[in-house]
Amino acid sequence: MDLLQGTLDMLVLRTLLAGPLHGYGIAKGIRSTSSEALDIEFGSLYPALKRLEAKGWLASGWETSEHNRRAKFYKLTAAGRKQLVRQHSKWADFVNAVGRIMGTLPEVKG
Amino acid sequence: MMIWNRLKYLWPPRRRQEERDMREELESLTAIAGAKELVNLTLAIEDVRATWGWTWLDSIYADIRYSLRGSCRHPAFAAVAVLSLALAIGANSAIFSFADALLLRPLPVKNPAALFDVTSTTPDNPFEGISFPDYRDLRDKSRSFSGLAAYRLATLAVAPSPTAPAQMCFANLVSDNFFPVAGVTPVAGRTFLPDEAGASTQPVAMVSYDFWKQHYAGDHSVMGSSLRLNGIVFTIIGVTPASFAGLERFAQPSLFVPLGMAQRLDGETADPLEDRGRHDLVVKGRLSAGASQESAQAEVATIGAALAREYVKTNRNRRVAVRTELQRRMQQTPALLALVKMLMGLVALILVIACSNVANLLLARGRTRSREIATRLSIGAGRSRVVRQLMTESVILGVAGGVAGLVVASGGIRVLETLSVPSDPPFVLGVRLDWRVVQFSLLAALGSCILFGLAPAWKVVRTDFVNALKAGGQGASGKERIVGRDILVAGQIALAMVVLIAAGMFLAGFRNMLVMPPEFRTDHLISMDTAPAVVHYSPEQTKVFYRRLVDRVRTMPGVVGVAMTESLPLAPSQTGVTVSPEGYQFPKGRETELEFGAAVDAAYFSTLHVEIKRGRTFTDDDRAGTRPVAIVNQQFVKTYWPGQDPIGKRIRLDGAAGPAIEVVGVAKTGHYLAVNEAPAPYVYVPYEQNPRSRMTLVVQSMGDAAALAKPLREAVRSIDGNVPVFNLRPVAKLYESRVTDTWLQFFQMVGTMGFIGLALATTGLYGLVAYTVSRREKEFGIRVAIGASHRDIVWLVERRGLILAGVGMAIGGVLAAVAAPLLAAAFPGLGVPSPAVYTLVPLALLMVSAVASYIPARRAAGLDPLRALRNE
Repeated sequence: MDLLQGTLDMLVLRTLLAGPLHGYGIAKGIRSTSSEALDIEFGSLYPALKRLEAKGWLASGWETSEHNRRAKFYKLTAAGRKQLVRQHSKWADFVNAVGRIMGTLPEVKG
Repeated sequence: MMIWNRLKYLWPPRRRQEERDMREELESLTAIAGAKELVNLTLAIEDVRATWGWTWLDSIYADIRYSLRGSCRHPAFAAVAVLSLALAIGANSAIFSFADALLLRPLPVKNPAALFDVTSTTPDNPFEGISFPDYRDLRDKSRSFSGLAAYRLATLAVAPSPTAPAQMCFANLVSDNFFPVAGVTPVAGRTFLPDEAGASTQPVAMVSYDFWKQHYAGDHSVMGSSLRLNGIVFTIIGVTPASFAGLERFAQPSLFVPLGMAQRLDGETADPLEDRGRHDLVVKGRLSAGASQESAQAEVATIGAALAREYVKTNRNRRVAVRTELQRRMQQTPALLALVKMLMGLVALILVIACSNVANLLLARGRTRSREIATRLSIGAGRSRVVRQLMTESVILGVAGGVAGLVVASGGIRVLETLSVPSDPPFVLGVRLDWRVVQFSLLAALGSCILFGLAPAWKVVRTDFVNALKAGGQGASGKERIVGRDILVAGQIALAMVVLIAAGMFLAGFRNMLVMPPEFRTDHLISMDTAPAVVHYSPEQTKVFYRRLVDRVRTMPGVVGVAMTESLPLAPSQTGVTVSPEGYQFPKGRETELEFGAAVDAAYFSTLHVEIKRGRTFTDDDRAGTRPVAIVNQQFVKTYWPGQDPIGKRIRLDGAAGPAIEVVGVAKTGHYLAVNEAPAPYVYVPYEQNPRSRMTLVVQSMGDAAALAKPLREAVRSIDGNVPVFNLRPVAKLYESRVTDTWLQFFQMVGTMGFIGLALATTGLYGLVAYTVSRREKEFGIRVAIGASHRDIVWLVERRGLILAGVGMAIGGVLAAVAAPLLAAAFPGLGVPSPAVYTLVPLALLMVSAVASYIPARRAAGLDPLRALRNE
């Protein structure tokens, strides 16, 4: 499934709301939360992480992972939280608007 | 915050850290997830770098590295280009610093653009000062200025401590608001209080930073201690900052004292501040918010007109003018403005020559590189990318040239720094390498980049590189491009010709000046200034002092004769006399003219060998009480009484109704302020009939004049040790430094410019001819193979260089013919367009061109035809 521009950022921020994760963990998180519907390629996810970090929405630090391996963990910053709230309400508005137009699945004759 | 976030990634150490971190992170993730899960990591890394703005930076870095590598591969190319630019930019920067010192540098005050110059103007003199009563009225009535300050430059005899001997120093007598208006705060102590403005029995003074360092070693405890100025005890209250060198262009005051002390310092009987007719104050006004120069001018004009109506006697025909500092300097010293324009013009031409040189080099290199560029274009580089690469190269060359130019400039500035005017206290020119010069150099460098970088870049945009690739580096529009380079080289030679002819005119004028006799004797003479008025001698006491001094010196061993004059010819400052010659009709509205003039004693003419052409010299009978007489010079007669007999005619001094003096002799016209001045009228009056407060003694020695310095000083001390002695030096020294040294430096300056211009243009010509030879190797090979002689080939190449030089010289000749009269008009006595210059310059250019093209020609003729052909 393709993602709309900017949606990936939102997904990353939302996934990190639960707690710090490393890069691969975020990818896995999105995949499992979406019941495998969204399979983000790591090659797209990683630049997004760095972009969000450069914007100051994420902070990163080296920590020990579940398998006792060192990995870089990302967590939301205060600015990141604010951004998530902003994006979330925008997204909700968008879904509402589209939902009103589409309604329930109509019967299409043809 | 966002910008900072982006910028910090440009910092190289930070960047390396991030790179390392990213690598480690991806390695650890690969270990956790397995390589299969994490595909396309290379692309991800590139994307991340783009996020950080590194791709853009990388390409710039790559461009720079590539350019530097290219320059290292062609060191001769880089060296010639950078050297050309360095010479030209260096010459420009040095001249800029000179122009800055003469005209351009803003006043060392807070927000100098808002500080305006206020003068009074009369039909005779557009730059007269303002009297204190007029200043007071202007200050009280005008609304356009947030503050109007007044000051006067004075020379005071200063004794830093009660025991130290007095020395002459510049001082400013200032109004109490002088420092607040200038926006200058003291580095130590305080400035003047309003109640310290007037005359006081306990006067206060501020000292300059340099004076503080020199005499008090920068000691703060000096505040409150005393020093003597003209014999009066002042208390030091403050020190001005090092950056504040006063508001005069060439004189740096060591002291600042309240204007109210003027009367006591000068020992005058009446208060000069109450004299509305004494227009001697410099007034500066700081424009208030909302006012403009125009509105201020309109306002002070109204006030000035009211004053002219109210005080007819002193203010008739007197107006008030508001000028910016730059306007004042340019209008007040048009000769300096002309000099600066001329020098700036010459160096600008040199910069153009250098830039076309570099452009030519780049074009030549661009041709051999056309294959490389074509390859880069064909594998997908955009044209803009290639143009950016070329512009990067140009900017690197320009910056290198600019930095090297600063080194050249600092050398030039060191020479210019030594330009000075021989006087006690010294006038300083203030040429220095400062931040403004650095800015100018960088600006010149960047401007040059545009000049020489555009041509090669433009070429890339236009060239058809498919053909270039096919032709194996030969390019398609070869003919056209060679024509372009021909034009550049011919242009260089034309400009070099203009520079050389201008320099040659200066040389000729300078030679004229050196062979020009001073019109007075300079050998075996020593002069000495004394100022008894400084220690408050009355006029009668002064007369007695000078009579005793002359008598004493006359009997000194080794003295042949002694004379007195108010001002020595060619001394840096000259005195004047306000005259209205009888029978002369002045233009409407004027009735007097200020001419050079001096009170001299009877021995003056014989001691200085000033020739009397007609009539008689002064005698001891021309004394107080006898008929007042004068001697004028030939130019005076020519100006005021052309074709008439001047003997017996009368001149009125100080206005049409002033006392009359009768002309009894005519002296030969000499040089008074500078050797290159236009012949000027001069009036001599006898000292005994016109006693002055300050005279110069001129002593003729039997042997070495300098040896008399010590006994002369002793002679003054034996009469009164408090009278300051200054400007004690052999007259020949004065003449040398006023005439020879200054002009020699100017000549060296202009000569160096001419040489740089010639060298640059020759390099350009050589480069082009050599390049043509290398391109035509095959053709020459064939020619030799089918029997062309050594001489044929040499001539073939040589002819090309000479044709180019000939065309350039023809254009240059026309340009010079247009420029020469302008130069001659701007510098009377200097820019002499002599036939010798017009012959020598083209000959020199022709010879240098012949040599420059002979070197590559010989190489062409020496080519081995077989090898030249095989090279294909």
